[in-house]
Amino acid sequence: MSEIDSLKAQLESLQADALNAFAAAENLNALQQLRVQYLGKKGALTEVLKGVGKLPPADRPVIGQHVNATKSALAAGLEACETTLAEKEKIARIEAERIDVSLPGRTKGKGALHPVQNGLDEISMIFSQMGFVVAEGPEIEDEFHNFDALNIPPEHPARAMHDTFFVKEMGNGEKSEPMLLRTHTSPVQIRTMKRFLAEGGEPPLAVVAPGRVYRCDYDVTHSPMFHQVEVFKVDRDVSMAHLKGVLKHFLSTYFEKDVAIRLRPHYFPFTEPSAEVDIGCVFCAGKGCRICKGSGWIEVLGSGMIHPNVLQSVGIDSEEFSGFAFGLGVERLVMLKQGIPDLRLFFENDVRFLSRMGVNK
Amino acid sequence: MKIPFSWLKEHVALTATPMQIADDLVRLGHEVEAVEMPRAAVVGVRVGLIASKQPHPDADKLSLLKVDVGDAEALDIVCGASNMDEGDKIPVATLGTVLPNGLKIKKGKIRGETSCGMCCSETELGLAEASAGLLILPADAPVGAEVGAYLKLEEAVFDLSITPNRGDCMNVRGIARDLAADAGLPLNDLDLHAVAIDTSVADAIVTVSAEQDCPVYMARSIKGITVVDSPAWMQAKLIQAGQRPVNGVVDVLNTIMLDLGQPMHAFDADTVSGSINVSSAQGGESFSALDGRELTLNAGDLLVNDASGVIALAGIMGSEPTGVRETTTNIVLESAFFRPARISETRRVYAMVSEASMRFERGVDPDMVAVAMQRATNMIIDLFGGSASEVTVCGDAGSVNADASGASRQVNASVSRIETRLGIEIPVAVDDVLVRMGFALQRNGDALTVSVPTFRHDVSIPEDISEEYARVIGFDKIPELLPPLATTAPAQQDRSVHDAVGAGFLQVINYAFISASEQRLFVAQDDLDIALENPISDAMSVMRRSVWPGLLNTARYNMNRQQSGVSLVEQGRVYLKNQKAENSHDEINVIAWLMSGDVEQDDWFGNARQADFFDLKGAVNAWLTLRGLTGRFIADDSMQGLQAGQSAKILVGRAEAGRIGRVDGDIASSLDIDTPVFVAEINLDALTTGKQAKFVPLPEFPGVERDLVFLFERTVSSEAILNAVKSAAGKMLTDARIFDRYDGKGVPDGFVSLGIRFALQDGKRTLTQEDSDTASQAVIAAMDKRFGAMLRG
Repeated sequence: MSEIDSLKAQLESLQADALNAFAAAENLNALQQLRVQYLGKKGALTEVLKGVGKLPPADRPVIGQHVNATKSALAAGLEACETTLAEKEKIARIEAERIDVSLPGRTKGKGALHPVQNGLDEISMIFSQMGFVVAEGPEIEDEFHNFDALNIPPEHPARAMHDTFFVKEMGNGEKSEPMLLRTHTSPVQIRTMKRFLAEGGEPPLAVVAPGRVYRCDYDVTHSPMFHQVEVFKVDRDVSMAHLKGVLKHFLSTYFEKDVAIRLRPHYFPFTEPSAEVDIGCVFCAGKGCRICKGSGWIEVLGSGMIHPNVLQSVGIDSEEFSGFAFGLGVERLVMLKQGIPDLRLFFENDVRFLSRMGVNK
Repeated sequence: MKIPFSWLKEHVALTATPMQIADDLVRLGHEVEAVEMPRAAVVGVRVGLIASKQPHPDADKLSLLKVDVGDAEALDIVCGASNMDEGDKIPVATLGTVLPNGLKIKKGKIRGETSCGMCCSETELGLAEASAGLLILPADAPVGAEVGAYLKLEEAVFDLSITPNRGDCMNVRGIARDLAADAGLPLNDLDLHAVAIDTSVADAIVTVSAEQDCPVYMARSIKGITVVDSPAWMQAKLIQAGQRPVNGVVDVLNTIMLDLGQPMHAFDADTVSGSINVSSAQGGESFSALDGRELTLNAGDLLVNDASGVIALAGIMGSEPTGVRETTTNIVLESAFFRPARISETRRVYAMVSEASMRFERGVDPDMVAVAMQRATNMIIDLFGGSASEVTVCGDAGSVNADASGASRQVNASVSRIETRLGIEIPVAVDDVLVRMGFALQRNGDALTVSVPTFRHDVSIPEDISEEYARVIGFDKIPELLPPLATTAPAQQDRSVHDAVGAGFLQVINYAFISASEQRLFVAQDDLDIALENPISDAMSVMRRSVWPGLLNTARYNMNRQQSGVSLVEQGRVYLKNQKAENSHDEINVIAWLMSGDVEQDDWFGNARQADFFDLKGAVNAWLTLRGLTGRFIADDSMQGLQAGQSAKILVGRAEAGRIGRVDGDIASSLDIDTPVFVAEINLDALTTGKQAKFVPLPEFPGVERDLVFLFERTVSSEAILNAVKSAAGKMLTDARIFDRYDGKGVPDGFVSLGIRFALQDGKRTLTQEDSDTASQAVIAAMDKRFGAMLRG
């Protein structure tokens, strides 16, 4: 065999060995070693090249071409194996890093709004969106704002029905005006109208007044503290039809369905005419059930056209302006909406109840 | 108020069913609490004759009866009662009957003997609260007849809740008048035949010296009566209307009151000395009330007196000694109009409620005073004999409703105004309904003049007329119309509690009143507490000045129910007297937190961890950050109820806005809470709104960070250290914080190792090694000089 043929054979066998070795490499590290072994400075290919010097000069270019071809083949083989191995290693790594995504995430405990708070928010929001302005007032009130200005004079039978908490004498000196815990949010109506007029305002005035109220009554269906929302609007030509329209819109929005409303004539000193408002039972759709005592109707709030004496007590001309007002019990509406059977649950503050019934908004 | 259907029908020939009547009543504004159906409730219960009675072979207390209920064969019934004999007639609930108590009668075996029905007591028929043994029916009761029909049980009884403005409807005739007017039926005339006067009977002598409170007073003597029980039909009527029969005379007066709404009173004439005088109390008079109470009267109370003293608290209650008894033979009857406000006030002062006072304080019909006197006299003479004097009349019924000029009450209104404010048209035809209700109407174009009947004390302004129209037309006829809506933007919602909830806290709501001792847990004794005059209990007697006692109770409640930890938040007001202004008070809006027990549970990624001060401080800080505010926590050992060394004031800006700390261990253990309890409270009214940040260019050049670890005395506060770092490191400092804290092995007692990491940056150039070395040297020097702190390792 001539020298050149021998070299050619060596190159061929080197290429075949190397490509086999590359393909057999188990990982990128091994492949790197093979690169050094075959293509490094002291690698197998370099060894073969040492034999080139012994060739006659005419043969050298020929063998040179063979060497380059082998080099290219090895480089291409390396790269192909490298890609395959990298892919394989990536897959292995991903597999190794696989987690159980169904394990719970890290949290800071579950907060929740009290259902009454959520009710207050929802109710206030509905009226806010209708252009009613939110107002507040003191919980410790005087008799004027809680009763007299609302057309409930001292000897009025309705006063006795209010089960009022009175506050012990607050002044040190001579007998001061008796103070009480407001029995309803209606005094906010008086205070807001007075303030509005004092600031130079003139109707229209539309207000929603949420807050805590107190009645000296404590049993299964009564809590000595509960929440009311007072809503009123004063303008020219406000009518009972407007009252019904606002009630219908509010109650349907709150209960997230088209609820039927029924107004029954009633008596409140601060409205005339006055009406109790029923909604079609939200549990049986008016068919009659245990909750609505078979009537198909559930009483939800009291309403009416603001009594002229009330408008006059704050200095609004009842000839020129009229208004409607209503007051609703927040706990009652929340109980109806969420199916809560017992008023006392709201103030027991059992965290199991709160986290189940509460809302996190 | 209970109204039997048959009684209503005495006044108006109603043809509608009870349920239709109930709907009409609701539409007219009379709330129907219930419609009882006593007759329908006992359908299937029939009159039975006990044909035979044998002892039960296996039970001493049971009997085997054969009862004839008019069917082909007598029924076998096992009965547990003992008050019946062969030949007695008794009510028998036949198979399939459902009794008022819900019991369904089925064929069964009792101790081996077949029973095909049940013999009933009054209780089982729903006629009495309690009864002893079977109801034994009269011997002439027809065997087989339905007991409900035989006993003339009411078809229906309406239980009404009459609103306080409708005193005229606190009687059967008033309700009948509304129903008759609504249905277009005539109201029957009252039997008003004249009383046979016996001129030999001396008239009652009456003077009224309190004309203001007693504009009309009528009295009459009746002599020689025999007080026996009222007849069965009257007793049945009273019982069905919810009244207990007392004696013949009292029953007649109660019947008149329920029928016509005029309360009356009868004195035993032989216990009354001298003439009768109606006057206002001077104050200090003593009075023995019929209900057994001994009262000392207040000036202004309206009294009926005789020569020896007070014989009645007018319109409320008679005196015990002058009441009518079985032995009474001579009486003085009283019928009067007392001013409502007077009766209301007196009744409230003595907490005395009577059927009479309830009617007087709502206003009775002055025109009924004489009518009731006449009807009562006739009824008493018919039933109990006796002879009547003339009526002594003081005052004038016409004066009650008259205006200054003596004319009766009229209301002038505008039809169009009423239409506008109701949102419906008022057809002229509706006027007829009001006329049937007793009003007189005159329309003259838009002008409407209404004369108000004497019994309608609630109608005096155009809005009252508007209400009358609305209820007779029907509130359901008014359309639902949205008013023009303003387009004001809704105000920003208060997010205080929402933000805390978002950070993992459960919102609770506690009562605003707590006990006096709870108040003292966190607020020292002073005179600013606001206490209730009439609390529900001592536990709810003082308006809270801190939300913490309520939160502590909530924590206890839940930790007693197997909760290993709680994170609670509450927003609400606290209340205290205003120190500066006499007789005024403050209501301060606060938010408060409580953490105790596990804040982290045992979990797949870590172990359970109990809340500490820094959990809560972090929550409060995060909450402040959300509102653009920064809090400073200043250690304060003097805070009531908090453990010294773990409590701090919270400053926001310059204002002291709140406090935070660990609840005193004794307080926690007194509540059986055995984990540390941390609480914080922030006065929302003291917070300013945070400023919105102005733009600052982001740094273009990289900064450097340096860590230095020093040994400090434990008493040095990290806030002081960081402040010193900030002033020492120069203008390039952008941040400094404690990144490590260690006081374990290798650190001497009383010392702590703190790692301080600070960052430097310059807006104009990249910092060099020299820059950070200079700053580090400055910090090291400052720590040494200021705190004597040594650089570690």
